[in-house]
Amino acid sequence: MESLGSIFERAKLERRRLLLTSLAGLGAAGMTGLAGRRAFGQDQPQLANSLRSLTNPYHASFAKGGEMFAQSVGAPYEVLVTEGNSEKGISDVRALLAKSGGNLALCIDPNDTPDTRVIVEACAKAGASVVTIWNKPADLHPWDFDPNYVAHISFDGAPYGKQMAETLIEKMGGSGGIVALGGIFNNTPAIERKQGLDEALAANPNVHLLDFQVADWLETKSFEITQAWLTRFGSDIKGIWAANDGMALGAIEALRAEGLAGSIPVTGIDGIRQAVDAVKSGEMVGTVDWDPIWVGGMGLSIAYHAHTKKIDIAKEPHLHREFYGTGVPITYKNVDEYIANYIDKTPTIDWNDLWGRVSGQIRAG
Amino acid sequence: MAASAIRLPPASRIERLRAFTPVIVLVVVFAVIGAIAPAFLSIDNLVRIMNASAIPLCLALGATFIILMGSIDLSVEGVVAMGAVLTALLVQNGANANDLGFLAIPLVLLMGAAFGFVNGVVHVKLQIPSFMVTLGMSFIAIGIATVMLAGERVRITDTTFRELALGRVLGIPMGVWVALAATLVAYVIQTRTRLGRWIFAVGGGEDILRLTSVPVGRVRILAFTLAGVFYGLGGILSAAQLGQGHALMGQGRLFTTITAVVVGGTSLMGGQGGVQNTLVGVLIVVGLANGMVLMGVPPYVQTGVQGVLIIAAVALAVDRSRARIIK
Repeated sequence: MESLGSIFERAKLERRRLLLTSLAGLGAAGMTGLAGRRAFGQDQPQLANSLRSLTNPYHASFAKGGEMFAQSVGAPYEVLVTEGNSEKGISDVRALLAKSGGNLALCIDPNDTPDTRVIVEACAKAGASVVTIWNKPADLHPWDFDPNYVAHISFDGAPYGKQMAETLIEKMGGSGGIVALGGIFNNTPAIERKQGLDEALAANPNVHLLDFQVADWLETKSFEITQAWLTRFGSDIKGIWAANDGMALGAIEALRAEGLAGSIPVTGIDGIRQAVDAVKSGEMVGTVDWDPIWVGGMGLSIAYHAHTKKIDIAKEPHLHREFYGTGVPITYKNVDEYIANYIDKTPTIDWNDLWGRVSGQIRAG
Repeated sequence: MAASAIRLPPASRIERLRAFTPVIVLVVVFAVIGAIAPAFLSIDNLVRIMNASAIPLCLALGATFIILMGSIDLSVEGVVAMGAVLTALLVQNGANANDLGFLAIPLVLLMGAAFGFVNGVVHVKLQIPSFMVTLGMSFIAIGIATVMLAGERVRITDTTFRELALGRVLGIPMGVWVALAATLVAYVIQTRTRLGRWIFAVGGGEDILRLTSVPVGRVRILAFTLAGVFYGLGGILSAAQLGQGHALMGQGRLFTTITAVVVGGTSLMGGQGGVQNTLVGVLIVVGLANGMVLMGVPPYVQTGVQGVLIIAAVALAVDRSRARIIK
């Protein structure tokens, strides 16, 4: 459950680094590839999830979700790992298309936006069914490639940024000053989450934003900024909103250095394990889990349902073809329940409930 | 503040003034920010600036020795990440049963030294520019840290160990004392050991030095090893300060480190500057970052200001009369 949008966007900026970083992970990747079973001569289509790297918890859960679904229908399942390399991602998909003769249901988190079109075109040509996650050019739509491009799933940062701000404001008692830590400026998740914060502030005139700073998703930067804020605003700070969990944790450590951890409510987003623990201990008051098991499993399930003609995807409304999924908010109110349901046990998901977590059609642009 | 250990005999008045440029910049920066935002100079805030300077200082001390030789070390972020991850895994933590406490410190320093040693050996023996070697080593270190944790974060549960960052002596965080001790050690190495003097000599004119009996290659390897130890220390302090270790822990550290060394007046061409300059440089960079938040400078302007600062510092500090060719 490592941070999501933040990690992704940062990873984009650091393509070179990731490439090299991933060298060490190649061994693991190779093993996963070998573990997949062959699809020849079986009734079930080959299933596959393609993702960046098994070394981050988000994608590890993403892969696990796919496996859980594959087991539920008894189909062969394979994990393709791009290791941050678009070329590898595309050629792996092509190889699997050739091997399965197009009898493939694929759920892919494309390494980079331009890859999506190449992959979708290759799948359409081979007669495979593909669902894409997160990355897609704005002018490419699933209905452009009926029925092969089944759907695209993403998450909208705005409602969750807003929800966390509301949780914070509620904990503050509805009034006072807050400070906010944003992600890298031109990152889509950073912009959306900040937009949500602004909406919550507009609805709560008694709460004012003392300052907004950009900490580039990094806890080290957020640590230093929070320190400076303590000087500038001191006890006027009644709450800290952070656009991801890493920055929220950095802020908490800055508070801890002054003996203030737990006395000022802090919120994050992404639902990483430390943040959940911090919500449990009272140092944070909220975060949002994107539930990667659901994403990896349901993306595959939708592709599978379309591929096996259990649904006629071309007849589904656009809302079901290009939609925002639903995150799981974790706040000081439901944290025990969350831990019981999501951490102490793996949640059971109804893989046939294809549209249960659709929370809106993706906005254009 | 002395410009270098090797002093060119007839130093003009301007030359002597140039050596003090970083201190003057520091005083001006602090005075200007203090005038605009008086809270900047409050005791509380000065302690916070010191606290925020501790880790950058350790890193910049290591980088100083490398830059003094006219080389560059880009392995900072990797070794810091590796150091923080290793620290987190060796002290009592949420991922394994280790509980070495402060015994973890020498082990992590040794790891830093090992990375630095490899940097040095590859650079010297394979004759690869330090720029490439250290960049590669940084990636390797981050790669290893990623694999060790499978992308996870480890939380440090050893509260005694965390006192290294959180504890206070005379109202000043322990991390600051550690960094000051490191500065003292670095200063002694620079001024009182043969290695220190040779590092200056390598930076001042390696071509001539090679004609003497000075083991230039060994000096370079030792300097990189020494730098690695300081980065390891930075990693330990990072882990103590943030209470965790993960592979991206060093991110953003390289820019501050190199900026601090250069702003302090250590020449990128080598042979000029030193540990004392770096101390001033770190205070300028960290103080400015803190001050810009206090003054309410918009976030997108802040990075720009840092860029201007670097160019200005280099322009002020570089002794152009000695420069023959600028590449």
